[in-house]
Amino acid sequence: MNRIAVLGACVVAQLALVGLATYDQLSARAFGEEYRFLVQPVDPHDPFRGSYVDLDYPDLRDPDGSVPASFEDGDQGPLYIPLVRDGDLWVRGEYTRTRPDEGPYLACDDGDWRIRCGIESWFASASEARRVERELAGDGAVATVRIDGRGNAALVDLSSR
Amino acid sequence: MLADMNTTAPSAPRSLRPVSPRQLEWLTDEVRSWEAEGLVDEQQAASILGSYRAGRRFGLGRLMLYLGSAFIGVGLIWLVASNLDQFPPLARWLVVTAIWLGLVAGAHLLSERRRRHRLPDSSPVVGAVRGGAALAFGAVIFQAAQSLQVPAYEPALVGFWGAGALLYAYAVRAMAPLTVGVTASLVWFVWQVLADAESGLGVVLAFLVGGVIAAAVSVLHRRFEPAGFAVVWREVGALLVLVGLFVAAVPDVDGGDFRMTATLLVAVLVAVALAALALALGRDVTRLLPLGALAVASVGTGLVAWETDRVTGGSIGAGDWLQAALSVAAYVLVAGAVAALGILRDSPRLTWLALAALVVFTTFQSFAVFSQVITGAWLFVVLGLVFVGSGLVFDRARRELESTLEGELS
Repeated sequence: MNRIAVLGACVVAQLALVGLATYDQLSARAFGEEYRFLVQPVDPHDPFRGSYVDLDYPDLRDPDGSVPASFEDGDQGPLYIPLVRDGDLWVRGEYTRTRPDEGPYLACDDGDWRIRCGIESWFASASEARRVERELAGDGAVATVRIDGRGNAALVDLSSR
Repeated sequence: MLADMNTTAPSAPRSLRPVSPRQLEWLTDEVRSWEAEGLVDEQQAASILGSYRAGRRFGLGRLMLYLGSAFIGVGLIWLVASNLDQFPPLARWLVVTAIWLGLVAGAHLLSERRRRHRLPDSSPVVGAVRGGAALAFGAVIFQAAQSLQVPAYEPALVGFWGAGALLYAYAVRAMAPLTVGVTASLVWFVWQVLADAESGLGVVLAFLVGGVIAAAVSVLHRRFEPAGFAVVWREVGALLVLVGLFVAAVPDVDGGDFRMTATLLVAVLVAVALAALALALGRDVTRLLPLGALAVASVGTGLVAWETDRVTGGSIGAGDWLQAALSVAAYVLVAGAVAALGILRDSPRLTWLALAALVVFTTFQSFAVFSQVITGAWLFVVLGLVFVGSGLVFDRARRELESTLEGELS
């Protein structure tokens, strides 16, 4: 009985780790609201998770800046992108290193070589990924993203413009 | 205690414990000498020897079992990567989770069955299923991340896999999940350090600090259960220290773009704390191992941070030669210490690891030197000679070290 209790506690803790590993996306999906962004494909394959389409958000980066987006202010780490409505879609306000007092905003990080907000990949089967990439390379598409009050974001859909 | 053996007759037929032919030969000699000294009678001697049978520790059957479970685990992760769009994402995650839980439950039932038959609860079959469960937990994490569109190349996912596998390994006290957990955690740590700030010094520190942590944990396992885990941590610690120092000795590796990131800082603090704990709680002279690993980490960091003429854009100068000489001396010293530890702890894997590291290091360094003056086929001939020569010299040194240490210990 004692061994079963230990094993049970271990399995529960492991499931909690699964939740922790995907916390941002789970929180955004459960408590977030939907926002729509213009999206373009950049290029791929994750060895553990297979084919995906790498996404670039033209309206979330500096028009003259690098693709994918990066921010050169001599600092690296947490970065916040306030969001401003532009018709049906949402575009970026001024990047900031301090968490905005009110939303909506995206909580991102540029510790890596690019700004990552948790919405950069769309996983699909190899054939579907190729089809989506072709479609996005044409007229571009619209990404539906759920964002919670802390800026955690989850990509929930891609659709034609 | 031996006298009690006659009075406690087993209620169920005992199955024979497999031991290596060498161990059985040693035990037989010992029991015969106890019998000659009158410590045990003929019946007791037969009873002791009758409990064991000779068998290979790592037979073909065991190899097939572990390979099979590794194939299942890796296949499951591959299945996640193949992204079967015939099934909705939630259904895929539920199927992968059901397979993982099935393996966890299966391993538990098999081990309980062995306990009921008064056998040790671990066996190759139980170990293989537990190893498969640890791998399958990775598939659960990756499928959850894929179903929720977590961005690609996220090192934290591998870290969570490692943490889960380690948790399982300690809960059931099994080596196979420990191996999976240590490997995944290690991959995460180096990857995370590189993702945070890509620099040569960062990589060197990641390996060396990881080596200190692993060495300290191995010392603590000599005091705290499961004691068997000490072997894995000790060998991983030695491997990390040798790899870290190897990278530190590569001339082109420097401290450019280095940043002390949060991950690295926490790891350094954990390493120092664990080394202090190991020093305070360790049982014998091996409690100094983490301190030795810390010293190697300092030397490695110093070698990388040392800006010689070549690194600063000039030609090869005295500083470069001095750095190369110190690198070789430090590496030979550390590899020698690891080889001695292998002999002291009766761990041939550790000794061979040290010797292999020395041979590869010598050849690599020779390559860096000879490629400046010899090219083409002759370079291969010279390198081959260096490889064979250093292998012969180090093997002879190992045998001499072994006989010296054995002589002193006896």
